[in-house]
Amino acid sequence: MSAIHFENVSKTSRAGVKGPAAAAWLAILGLPVPDAPNTWLPLEGGLIARLGLSEFLVEGPASAQLAAPISHGVYPVLRQDTALVLKGERLNDLLLETCSVNFLAIDRRTRPALLTSIAGVGVTAIPDGNELRLWCDCTYGEWFIDTLSSVANELI
Amino acid sequence: MKIMTCPVNGPRAITEFAYGGEIRPMPNPNTASDDQWADYIFNRNGAPGMKREWWCHTPSNTWFVAERDTERDLIMRTYLYMGEA
Amino acid sequence: MRLPPSATTAGEWINRDQPLRFRFEGRDYAGCSGDTIASALAANGVKVLGRSFKYHRPRGLMSVANHDVNAVMQWGGTPNVRADAMPLVAGMDLTAVNTFGGGVDQDNARILGWLSRILPVGFYYKAFHTKSLFPLWEKVFRMATGLGKVDFSTPRLRTPKRYGFCDVLVVGAGLSGLSAALAAAEQGAAVVIVDENARLGGSTHGVSAGASELVALVAAHPKIRISADTYAAGYYTDHWVPLVERDRMTKMRAQAVVVATGGYEQPAVFRNNDLPGIMLASGAQRLIRRWSVRPAQRIVLLAANADAYLAAEDFLAAGIEIAAVIDLREDVPETQKSALAGRHIPVHAGDCILEAIPSANGKGVVGVRTQSGTIACDGVFVSVGWAPTAPLLYQAGTKMRYDDAVHQFVPEQLPAGVFACGRVNGIHTARALDGARAGSAAAAHCGFGVDQAITVPPETAHPTHPWPIVAHPQGKNFLDFDEDLQLADLENAIQEGFDNIELMKRYSTVGMGPSQGKHSNMNALRVLARCTASTPGEVGTTTARPFFHPVPMSHLAGRGFSPERRTPLHARHVAAGAVWMSAGVWQRPEYYAIAGQSRAQCIEGEVLAVRYGIGLIDVGTLGKLEIRGPQAAEFLERVYISKYAGLKVGMTRYAVMCDESGVVIDDGVVARLAADHFYFTTTTSSAALIYRELSRWNTIWKLDCGIVNLTGAMAAMNLAGPQAKAILVSLTDVDLSLPYLAVREGKVCGVPARLMRVGFVGEWGVEIHVPAEHGAAVWDALMAAGKSHGIRPFGVEAQRLLRLEKGHIIIGQDTDGLTTPGEAALDWAVKLDKHFFVGQRSLQAIARKPRHQQLVGFMLAAGYAGEAPKECHLVIEGGEIAGRVTSIAWSPALSRHIGLAYVRSDMTSVDRPFEIRLSNGSLVAARVAKTPFYDPENLRQKESS
Repeated sequence: MSAIHFENVSKTSRAGVKGPAAAAWLAILGLPVPDAPNTWLPLEGGLIARLGLSEFLVEGPASAQLAAPISHGVYPVLRQDTALVLKGERLNDLLLETCSVNFLAIDRRTRPALLTSIAGVGVTAIPDGNELRLWCDCTYGEWFIDTLSSVANELI
Repeated sequence: MKIMTCPVNGPRAITEFAYGGEIRPMPNPNTASDDQWADYIFNRNGAPGMKREWWCHTPSNTWFVAERDTERDLIMRTYLYMGEA
Repeated sequence: MRLPPSATTAGEWINRDQPLRFRFEGRDYAGCSGDTIASALAANGVKVLGRSFKYHRPRGLMSVANHDVNAVMQWGGTPNVRADAMPLVAGMDLTAVNTFGGGVDQDNARILGWLSRILPVGFYYKAFHTKSLFPLWEKVFRMATGLGKVDFSTPRLRTPKRYGFCDVLVVGAGLSGLSAALAAAEQGAAVVIVDENARLGGSTHGVSAGASELVALVAAHPKIRISADTYAAGYYTDHWVPLVERDRMTKMRAQAVVVATGGYEQPAVFRNNDLPGIMLASGAQRLIRRWSVRPAQRIVLLAANADAYLAAEDFLAAGIEIAAVIDLREDVPETQKSALAGRHIPVHAGDCILEAIPSANGKGVVGVRTQSGTIACDGVFVSVGWAPTAPLLYQAGTKMRYDDAVHQFVPEQLPAGVFACGRVNGIHTARALDGARAGSAAAAHCGFGVDQAITVPPETAHPTHPWPIVAHPQGKNFLDFDEDLQLADLENAIQEGFDNIELMKRYSTVGMGPSQGKHSNMNALRVLARCTASTPGEVGTTTARPFFHPVPMSHLAGRGFSPERRTPLHARHVAAGAVWMSAGVWQRPEYYAIAGQSRAQCIEGEVLAVRYGIGLIDVGTLGKLEIRGPQAAEFLERVYISKYAGLKVGMTRYAVMCDESGVVIDDGVVARLAADHFYFTTTTSSAALIYRELSRWNTIWKLDCGIVNLTGAMAAMNLAGPQAKAILVSLTDVDLSLPYLAVREGKVCGVPARLMRVGFVGEWGVEIHVPAEHGAAVWDALMAAGKSHGIRPFGVEAQRLLRLEKGHIIIGQDTDGLTTPGEAALDWAVKLDKHFFVGQRSLQAIARKPRHQQLVGFMLAAGYAGEAPKECHLVIEGGEIAGRVTSIAWSPALSRHIGLAYVRSDMTSVDRPFEIRLSNGSLVAARVAKTPFYDPENLRQKESS
């Protein structure tokens, strides 16, 4: 019995886009665009996250809108992430063993999206309430889940 | 372990970064002599002091400029590359 | 002896109701829960706990502060357990380390004590000077050196290693540290306080007035986290401090660090100062206060400061008779002596111990000889001064100075965010006040509250004697108890010219033992200062490096993370019996095992399937990038050596990348999907690096285009073989009459796909790229459709052979860190007439110079049946190295060995014979051959059968 609950939400629909004109393009599509880099906004049944200055991840039903024809300065990003939702009382202990970022010091009210490394794998991490949403390259996915699970099982 | 501040992602452990070498202006390849070009390609100044360097925050693939005092091991300033030489 | 319960033992750490049985050196003993090994043995009257390193002299407790290296023990598979700090565990079976036969009581090697005359300082250097004696000495040293035994069957332990965070980290929970923690927490900082002792309160737990009250306040404070039995192993940049606990390590990141580590009480140097029964006064206090052990009946107290007289009160309370106080000072302040008022204890001011008198068997002390006479005793407690526990401060870059007012080094200039207080700061009296000062300043440094700027009064009396050292013509006045160094050893080292602190350390090995000079460095530098007529400040200290205290390897190893990438087809390979190989971070099938077939048979079967039927290989590990924008073509022109501006939409072109020096670093295929849209691949091993590097170029050039990394998002497989087209046609809407090197977007098995006509393995082939989520379905469909044609999945080994038959190079195998395109026979790809590309200017310069080597194909003689050369075997011409083999394999298609090799530029003509030298030195004949070896006209990959 693991101290952490892992939910694999990789099958949720998602799409991405980047480029200097991506923010404006998303706004034209009618999507709310997070103002600050590395923040996110909730969407109906999903979210939109601004990754760095000019890349966006849209998850949930709204991701279908990104199939619209692109325009100059907009580059579609095929998202095939392994996506996880982690929760549990020992979640922060798991993070302390795998990530150098202090998640307890993060102000969730500003809706931060962190691009960091967990267990050596590059991830996008969104702490939301008592949950942590994680996205990583799907080719790291199996190893990532196995590794986090074994760390969680060995928490002392 | 050192902390470095990515201009986009904020302060992070140095393990999240990759070093990209000193920023050195490329001589004009059409006018540079072989000697000038070879100097650009092969010679690096290892003397400690103030350096302008390329660094990349690897989880986000963000390249930026770091000004470091390698003599005192201090990171003075980091900022996004704006095209100035 | 254990003290009976009384007011004196009220604060003891032991639980007398929980006896623990254990063994030491084959004898049974009983201790209590809460004992350390050493305290339990001391309670049983055992005084000899170990043998000294060099002379195997009997040794006992000295500091009882986790630094007693003559009391380290073997506990089963665990070597070098520090008996003075390790909690006693029921059933422990312990032996002393470093004993030769007879155990700690009857150590045969004690004879070495008589041989000290022939073990001079710098012995190693002198012994090894004569080469012919080396084997003899080596044998002796291997037996004599090292402590403890390693048990190679020890099970693997995974010790958790984790990050930690706080505002203010306080190291040391004595008076000063506790006060600092409270002050910082009161100002609002989140504080972590650690101490290497099992309980807070300082190294003489409860002795200092007010310590217990402070401990209670700290324990109750919501902003303070406490970690006892934890040592700070080092200081690293930006306030990063590894905190080592018994079963884990925390990598603590603080905003400020308060170093309240106190001091090491220092031994005095006099003849026989190492006899069991002679110990530091603070060590004796710890035994009494914590474990209710009375370490001696009748002692001589060697004193030189106020601490000695405070300790005397403890000794008297424990029922120890103080035969005399020998005070090194001429003038002993009356306030200090007042503790002994009415006790009728003689205080000999301005005296010293000339030597301790050993008992008949040498395992104890029976008296001391002073300048004024002989005094009988069974113990000598020493309190003559302190050395600051400053390793963390030194590691943090603190500038220290020698302060004559306290006769110790104190911080002169602390780095930003590092604070010091208490004894380590040279404050021995107003320690609590100094702690509050440092705690307040540390919190303010992190933005919590205002620095109270407390003023701390300086010391009025010396806490440390500047020369607690007494020479003796017969020596045995030990200065380093780890390495058995005597006063004369250091004097001789200095006389031999090693008169610099770092040189003296290395030559004499002073401070190089397991305690790292905690009890020897200070006295050693005093000796050096005196011998060179300088001051301790001028002599300076050696460099203090991590770790402060030995850290178990299991803690350092902890759990490492080596991420592994698996393609979307991983499970399919597992099901097909893949034998795995690592390719950088990727796991790839080397080949697919078939029951009853050897590795070679399996690989050959896969090769034949591709040559005569159909093969399918997962190439999803290739770097897969996409670039879009009006200047996408311009970007590719600049990063690859060939031209892409004129590449037709729907076509692909081989692409080689060089670095700025003109060295080949990567290759792949560029496919043009639209005028402003390219899809291109990189090698497996360089995918992440190339994407990063291209991103940098795009940052610099600011071209109107954007790069997207699809390496993990796309599955990719290469369907190849003369019958491949036949099965694919039913699964795709793409017109498969597409020409060689064409690219098409369409559907395969109903999912969006990019199809590239490739010829890497030399047959009609198409690389199919689909979103990762569809990879397995497409793979399954292709395998099912090809079943009747005998389709086989093939692995990396088969592909390496197939491409070798075609003469295709592998970057990184057939090239190295200096290979230019010309040397790798890629001249045809270099377009020096382009406007610009990375490496162009260097290649122009290289083109004007003679070429020294060239990659060529070669073959061994058709009937050659001997041992085949291997990659990296050298090409030999006239006894000289003339090149090397980069690839070689047995070609089933050609029935002979084929390969690629670098040879001198004058050796490249076809059929030119040359020789390859095997590892055993014999030479094998080879001839330069034209590539491709197989299907030289490339007809098979272009046409479909």
